[in-house]
Amino acid sequence: MSVTDKTGAFSRLGDAPRLTQSARRQLLLTVMPMVVLAALVAAIAIANPNFLRASSVWTVLDSAVPLMILASGAMLVILVGGIDLSVASLASMASVLVALWIPALGGWAVPVVIIVCALAGLLQGAIHVVAQVPSFLVTLGGLAVWSGVALLASGASTIPVSGTTLDWTFTRIGAWNVPSAVLIAAALVTVFALVLAFTPVRRWLISIGSSEPAALMAGAPVTQTKIAAFVVSAACAGFAGIMLVGRTYSGAPTLADSLLLPVVAAIVVGGTAITGGFGGIGRTVVGVLIITVLRVGLSVAGVDSSYEQIFYGVLVIAAVAMTIDRSKLPFVK
Amino acid sequence: MAPARLGLAPPETGRAAGSPRPSRRPDRATILADFGPLGALVLLCILFAFLSPQFATWGNVRNVLDSASVLAVIAVGLTFVLLLGAIDLSIEGVMATAALSVALLVANSRNDLDFGFMGVLAAVAIGAGFGLASGLLSTGLKIPSFMTTLGMSAIGIGIATVLFGGVQPALRSPELAEWASGQWFGLTRLTYVAVAVVLIGLLVQRYTRLGRYARAIGGAEELALLSGIPVRRYKTLAFTFAGATYGLAGVMVTTQLGSGIVQAGVGQNFAAITAAVVGGTLLSGGRGGVLHSIVGVLIVTVLVNGLVLIGVSPYVQGAVQGVIVVAAVVITAWPLRKRLRVVK
Repeated sequence: MSVTDKTGAFSRLGDAPRLTQSARRQLLLTVMPMVVLAALVAAIAIANPNFLRASSVWTVLDSAVPLMILASGAMLVILVGGIDLSVASLASMASVLVALWIPALGGWAVPVVIIVCALAGLLQGAIHVVAQVPSFLVTLGGLAVWSGVALLASGASTIPVSGTTLDWTFTRIGAWNVPSAVLIAAALVTVFALVLAFTPVRRWLISIGSSEPAALMAGAPVTQTKIAAFVVSAACAGFAGIMLVGRTYSGAPTLADSLLLPVVAAIVVGGTAITGGFGGIGRTVVGVLIITVLRVGLSVAGVDSSYEQIFYGVLVIAAVAMTIDRSKLPFVK
Repeated sequence: MAPARLGLAPPETGRAAGSPRPSRRPDRATILADFGPLGALVLLCILFAFLSPQFATWGNVRNVLDSASVLAVIAVGLTFVLLLGAIDLSIEGVMATAALSVALLVANSRNDLDFGFMGVLAAVAIGAGFGLASGLLSTGLKIPSFMTTLGMSAIGIGIATVLFGGVQPALRSPELAEWASGQWFGLTRLTYVAVAVVLIGLLVQRYTRLGRYARAIGGAEELALLSGIPVRRYKTLAFTFAGATYGLAGVMVTTQLGSGIVQAGVGQNFAAITAAVVGGTLLSGGRGGVLHSIVGVLIVTVLVNGLVLIGVSPYVQGAVQGVIVVAAVVITAWPLRKRLRVVK
C-alpha cells in the first residue's frame, strides 16, 4: 500500500512539468496547422481575390480529392506508429487494373480493384505483424512489387478508358456545380470520423501508437488493428487510383507515383506525429488542404513547378522535425 | 519510430542466430550469414548457366561486371549507413543532382563551362554535401533517417529538375567518354573505378574509426555512447561518405549515358538496399560489411542479367527485387520474433 502511495506521489511529482510540456505540444500541433492554413488562404486571397470565388474554391477542393483519399488511409498506419510507403504505387496499380478491367467487368471493376488492393494491403500488414519486419521496409518492397505488377499488366504504356463507366468520379452536381469527387471524399472522411468517434477503433489505434506493449497487456486487439490499418490504407489507395482514372480517362503505371511525398507531407503537416499515437482524420483534412492551397499559392506566386519537389522535401523534413515525439525514441536510427 | 531497429530485443539478438543458445549455434549462424550469400551467388550462376547457353560466356561475364560497377559504388557507401542501423532512401535524388551537375560542369552542349575532372570532383562533393545534410538533420533534429533521406531525395530530384530546365545537357568531353567506353584488359575503365572504390571502402571499414565506430554504433548504440564514442559525429560522417559515393555513381551513370538526366538513379536505391540485405548486411545494424554488400551486388546483377537472358520481362525486375528484399529480411528476422517485441 505504502509503495503504491509513494510511486503514485513520485510519478505525480515527476510528471508535473512533463505534462504541461506535452499539453503545450498537443496544443501547438492542433492550432499550428489551422493557423498556417488560414494564413495561406488569406495570403493567396490578397494576392489574387478571385481565389475565394465559389468556382475556384470548388476547383481547388476537387484537385485535393485523390490526395485526401490517399492520406486518410495512410494516416491510420502512421497513427499506429508505422508508415505505408506503398500507397502511391498501389494507386498507380489500381489505375492500370481498373482501366484494363472496365471493358470486361463494367462498373464492377471498381469494387473488384478496391478488393484486390485491400488484399495487397492485407499481405503487407500480415508480413509486417507476423514476421515482425519494420513497416517501412515491407511497404518499400511492396512499392517495388506493385509498380512491377502495374508495369507488367500495362506493358509500360498508358491504357485509355472509354465509355461513361467512371463519369461519376468527375462531374458537377446540382445548381452550385459541386464536384462529385468532393462529395465522395467528404463522405469518406465522414465515415472515417464517425468510425473513429463512435467505435473503440480510435482508442486501439492511439494506444498501439503510444505504447504497443501496454496496449497488448490491456487486451487491445493489436494484431488485428494493425493489419486492418494496412488493409484500409491499401483500399483507400486503390480508390484514389480509380478517382485519378476518372480525371485522365486513362490508367498508367506511374500515374500516382509522384503523390507519395505529398501524402506523407499532408499527414505530418496536419499534425499527426510520425511516431504514432497522436493524430486523427480532422488533422489530415487540414494537412491535405494546406498542401493543396500551397501548391495553388506557388503557382499564383509564379514559382516554376519544377521547384515543387524541393519544396515537398523541405516541408516533409520540417514538419516531421516539428511534430515528432522525441521522448519515444531512445535512439534515432 | 525506430525502423529496422530491434525494439526491445536484448542486444545479443542483434545477430541472426536469435536467442542465446549453446555456444556452437551462433558460430554456425555466423558462417551461414557470411558464406550463405556467396553460396547463393554460385548456385545462381550454375542455374543460369544451365538455363541459358549465353550466360557463361566471357562477353556476358564482362556485361555483368560492367553493369555491376555503378551499383557496387553505391553499395559501398550504403553499407556504412546500414552498419549504423540507419537507412538511406536519398540515393536517387543525390544521383540525379550529381548527374546534372557533372553534365553542366564539364564540356557540354548547354554552357561553356569546362572544368574537366574538377567537375567530377565537384559532383562528388555535391553528393557528399547531400549526405552531410542528411546526417546533420538525422542527428541534429533527431528525425529517423528514412524520413530525412526521403525528404533529401525529393530535394535532390527537385534541384536536378531545375538544373535540367527542359534541355538535356549532352557531354562533349572526349576524355570523360573515354572512361565509359575505354577498356583496360577487356573491362571498361568504370569497372576498375568500382574496384578502387570497393578497396577504399574495405580500408575505411577495417582501418579507420569511421568503419569501426559505425559497426559499434549499429551493434549497440547505447554502449557506444557510454564508452565515449562521439556517436553523432561518426553517424554524420558515415552519411557524408555514403553521399560522396552516390555522387560518384551519378557521375558514372552520366558518362555511360553521355548526357545528364534526372532519372540517372531510378531504381538504384532499391537495388542497392536489396543487394546489401541479400549480401548479409542486416538493416538492424552492426552486421555485415563492404564485402557482404558486394556479394549482394553480384547476386542482384546476375539475377537481373540471367532473368533477361532466359526471357523474363524486364518490368518484373523491380518486383523481383521487392520480393527478395522482404523475403531476406523476413528470413533473417524470423528467429527474433517475440510476442512483445515492438516493430514499427
